[in-house]
Amino acid sequence: MNGHRVVVTGLGTVNASTAGGRDALAGALALGRSAIAPIRAFPVDGLASRLAAEVDEATVAALVDRDAARRLSRICRLALGACLLAVRDAGIEGGPALGIVVGTEHGDFTSSRDFAQGFLRRGATGLSPMIFPNTVMNTMASVAAIAIGAKGPSITLNQSTLAGDLAVARGARLVADGRAEAVVAGGVDELFEDVYRRLSEMGALSPRMRAGSSPGTRSPTSKPAPEGCRPFATDHNGPVLGEGATFLVLETREGARARGARIIAEITEAAWGNVPSAPYSAHPARVDRGSPVARLLQSRRGEPFARCYGAGNGDPAVDDWERALLARDVGGGRADLMPPRSLAPLFGQHGGLGALRVGAAALDAERGGGSVLVHGIARGGCRTALLVGAAA
Amino acid sequence: MSRPGGGRPDVVVSGLGVVSPYGAGTKSFWTGLAAGTCAIKPISLIDTEGFRSRIAAEIPAEVMGALGVSRRRSRADRIALAAAREALADAGLPAARAREAALIVGAVGGGMLEGEDWYWGETRGRPARGIRALRSILPFSHAETLGWRLGLTGPKETVVMACASGGASIALGADLIRQGVVATAVVGGVDALTRICFMGFNALKLLDPGPCRPFDRDRRGMSIGEAAAFLVLEDAERCRARGGRPHARLAGYGMTTDAHHVTAPHPEGEGMIRAMQMALTDGDLAPAAVGYVNAHGTGTPQNDRAEALALRHVFGEGSVLVSSTKSLVGHTMAAAGSVEAAATVLALQHGLLPPTANLEHVDPEVPFDCLPGTARPAEISAALSNSFGFGGQNVSLVFTRP
Repeated sequence: MNGHRVVVTGLGTVNASTAGGRDALAGALALGRSAIAPIRAFPVDGLASRLAAEVDEATVAALVDRDAARRLSRICRLALGACLLAVRDAGIEGGPALGIVVGTEHGDFTSSRDFAQGFLRRGATGLSPMIFPNTVMNTMASVAAIAIGAKGPSITLNQSTLAGDLAVARGARLVADGRAEAVVAGGVDELFEDVYRRLSEMGALSPRMRAGSSPGTRSPTSKPAPEGCRPFATDHNGPVLGEGATFLVLETREGARARGARIIAEITEAAWGNVPSAPYSAHPARVDRGSPVARLLQSRRGEPFARCYGAGNGDPAVDDWERALLARDVGGGRADLMPPRSLAPLFGQHGGLGALRVGAAALDAERGGGSVLVHGIARGGCRTALLVGAAA
Repeated sequence: MSRPGGGRPDVVVSGLGVVSPYGAGTKSFWTGLAAGTCAIKPISLIDTEGFRSRIAAEIPAEVMGALGVSRRRSRADRIALAAAREALADAGLPAARAREAALIVGAVGGGMLEGEDWYWGETRGRPARGIRALRSILPFSHAETLGWRLGLTGPKETVVMACASGGASIALGADLIRQGVVATAVVGGVDALTRICFMGFNALKLLDPGPCRPFDRDRRGMSIGEAAAFLVLEDAERCRARGGRPHARLAGYGMTTDAHHVTAPHPEGEGMIRAMQMALTDGDLAPAAVGYVNAHGTGTPQNDRAEALALRHVFGEGSVLVSSTKSLVGHTMAAAGSVEAAATVLALQHGLLPPTANLEHVDPEVPFDCLPGTARPAEISAALSNSFGFGGQNVSLVFTRP
């Protein structure tokens, strides 16, 4: 990556397993316990899917003070909580040189539903001016920017599956390019009943997704395997949703050194591209030869990566696509890297998962053993790759 | 802010594509702007009974029907695809270069109009559309559609920065070229009218019951619009080498956050000032070099006051000509930044500054010539376009002649 060297100096996460900074994430990863369980937040009667990785309400309530909690939607509290944990972990101050990049897949659908319901129940007088701003996806970033004093660029990226990866990649570019001295970058999503219900009905969640399927276009399998998140397994049958927020503090290496910050790892490359495919399709219109990700990985072919994290989440078509892409671009003979490690079985699929993967890679790199590849492919063709190495 | 790596590529605008309330195509857009035609009219797309404001700048039905894009796609996808195709055709890129382009789309509403049809029907027990309408509801659906149909393989992003989304897409695309990641980027914003947006701004009492009057003493709010505008950005040297004819040069940009309030701008325009100053520094331009500012100019009392304060701080009282495109085509939300960037580029190119419509009594707190009513010929060499949004998001772009 051209420009300034970019290092990770802080982590903040609020997920179904834990809430905290670097040590909390390291602990949850070391424990390796899946947080996926039957959903408690809403009824799932009549649905084939019944599992999710939920953040319990006591954890959410403890993230921000009671006054803020009254004003903020739940997803804003998740994002704000994780951002505050990350800046505290890094010991960094706000100001014009601090930016923020938030990735999300679904945004604040709860507020959109509540706002629309106000009208549908009571007409124009039922509309809440307090709720409306939350219907715009950048409100999580706005709330967090105010709280942490981020007055540099504030960017919200909307993307399926790879929202967190993309946010960290863009954040790293902002720092490398000198657009900000430090950036808090990551992702967030919350479980929302209507989205869960529709995805389940469309066959887009375990246990009703099968290889080659596109959500909403195929009938469910007649004898599905049990519900569960089994990325790259032969009986994978769809993702299981999770929720939460994970953010990393990225800053220039010289800036981190100058302020005596603890450096966890370095992001040495961040690339993203597109493999032209129909929306929601996992069947590309053409082979990925030219995307910046393909170029980056092919230029690093044979490199002794310590580990590879993938975006595979149990969606059979995406799992298979990711495996094929990596086999071609990194090397099919790399038994140590294939299949890539997925964190979806621990935390569930959500917009913060990509940032969690990069956080896990940073912790791996901190322990030594070579650089770590964080790869991702999403339905619709977005592809990402980040290389994370030990801080030199 | 220190910027590493000197000698980085210069960025030019080599293609423009617009679908606006005036019609499809950059030509109709410029004709409407130059004539000072206000396209804000009674809304036909959605039910407005009981609302304070019942007007908007809609894309006419006959224009939608003639876009040459499948009617099965969402309204927003259709105008985005038509505008992006026009921009690429205008740039005249070789196919291989076009394929490598990055795609950055500024979006907010996504396919919400069709999603609302479904949800309204579902809630009232009368489903109007199949559940598949929900597949294009999210903002990223536009980038998926464009990336697929245009066959682009470069970095693909959907940036949601409220009313600054379109401007941000241009800034982020320019960065990818300057960093040498790509030589070309297709960038721009899109938003179709949605009930949630219309109802939300009504609920906030930010809509003027009449066509909006930016910078007017009696302004009462904004008017909503819908549009898509895309620009092709290119590494200037690569553009010249292939015989391309750039419309303008993107000299620099600034992107800041107020970190002050979720909906209200900073009262002194602190973040706006930093964004404009950053853009000038990035473009290595003195304030005096800028002859025209295409303002964010929504027509809300708060925004216009803060923007005028910021403009005075950066450029000095009365020292620059200012106008608001929103008085002509409404506030096109996520598209506004790219629609207004296109207007700024065209103004530079034609030596004609589009007017502010409906401006009768200039607010004494706005110490600038805001070009009331009629476009004005002016040979300027640099112009700045402002986009501000909910969440205190500020983006300023500076364009110069190529």
